[in-house]
Amino acid sequence: MSEELDPVVARAVAVLKAEPDFGAGFDRRVMDAVRAEPRPGTVSAWWASLRRPREVSISPLGAFAIAAGLVALMLGSVIVASSWRFGIEQGAGGVASGGGADLRPVQFVLIMPEARTVTLVGDFNDWEPDGLPLQRSAAEGVWSVTVPLAPGRYRYSFVIDGTRWYADPGAPRAIEDDFGRPNSILTVGEQGS
Amino acid sequence: MTRLLLSALALATIAAVPGLAQDTRIDARLDPATAAEVRSALATARNQGLPLEPLIDRALEGASKGASSGRIVAAVRALLNNLSRAAQALGPDAAERELVAGAEALRAGADSATLAAIRGARRGEPVTVPLGVLTDLVARGVPADAAREAVLALARRGARDGDFLALRRNVERDIQQGAPPAIAASVRARGLPSTLPPGAPGAAGPGATTERTAPAGTATPPRP
Repeated sequence: MSEELDPVVARAVAVLKAEPDFGAGFDRRVMDAVRAEPRPGTVSAWWASLRRPREVSISPLGAFAIAAGLVALMLGSVIVASSWRFGIEQGAGGVASGGGADLRPVQFVLIMPEARTVTLVGDFNDWEPDGLPLQRSAAEGVWSVTVPLAPGRYRYSFVIDGTRWYADPGAPRAIEDDFGRPNSILTVGEQGS
Repeated sequence: MTRLLLSALALATIAAVPGLAQDTRIDARLDPATAAEVRSALATARNQGLPLEPLIDRALEGASKGASSGRIVAAVRALLNNLSRAAQALGPDAAERELVAGAEALRAGADSATLAAIRGARRGEPVTVPLGVLTDLVARGVPADAAREAVLALARRGARDGDFLALRRNVERDIQQGAPPAIAASVRARGLPSTLPPGAPGAAGPGATTERTAPAGTATPPRP
């Protein structure tokens, strides 16, 4: 059962049937490229698959979820990094609750009636001048704060009104004075409690 | 998008590693040149197995006090040197707080042999408080040799942390009342152990090992 083609269609068929000219040595080049590919199951094949670019599709909601997770991870890391050393956590009543460490509440007291603000800075809070504000008690001019601390030796100072550094007159003075503003020393023992 | 996600993941990973996260405090509060010098000291400490936090604390203290870059770097490097000496004297099992106390004692004028002697006399007990009291005594004017003998005498008799703190308080009180520092330390070191109950682990009561700061202008009271 034969059917004669329209001349136009016949020319198109002839064009499509014609083999393209890939040039001399095409087969050899193809086989060389195949041999250069890493064998499946080898380390080089695994590494090549990792390096091969891929397109990744992600929905806006998925991108938002991933971004939120990363932000939460980073915030959590910062919090852990700032408190991991002594496990300082200021919960209700300033009681320590950190990480099973042997924390003990230590009260810092300063009598300074003329002060408007008093903060405590030291090895236990990265020397942040805004770190631990003392509260003025009912008694005139008495400032205090309680900090949970692990056994050890701490250098600290008070900052009066945000500008004036003031060593604790009721505590030993630190022997080193590297920065021209003396510190006090607190020793928290490990035994006997 | 993939590149952005991978970058965010890398940042989160860096922040999640404590040793690296701490360095961000340095970068946030020091100028770049000072931060680079401090990071170099931290790398040295890390290679020697020394704690990093005391060095970071010293740098941050300098930053908070507005110290110059030179003073901050010098203070960090001096502390690094003393931490290294303290680690050699106290042994590989020394805790961070012991190394800090040891470095401070060295800074005060104690020698490595004194640190090792106190470590040996304590027989596995922590030496943070004895070393700290040694430093405090020297700071109050007690000659280093006399302070060493006073602290060693207590350590050899099995004194507890509270006993060392009591020694310091008593010596301070004696000095305030006019006693020569060396004699005050010697007398108190001889006298304090006799107050301990026979065979007692220490005369200090609960909480007595923790000092409590006192109102300005008053003597430091023991904790109740």
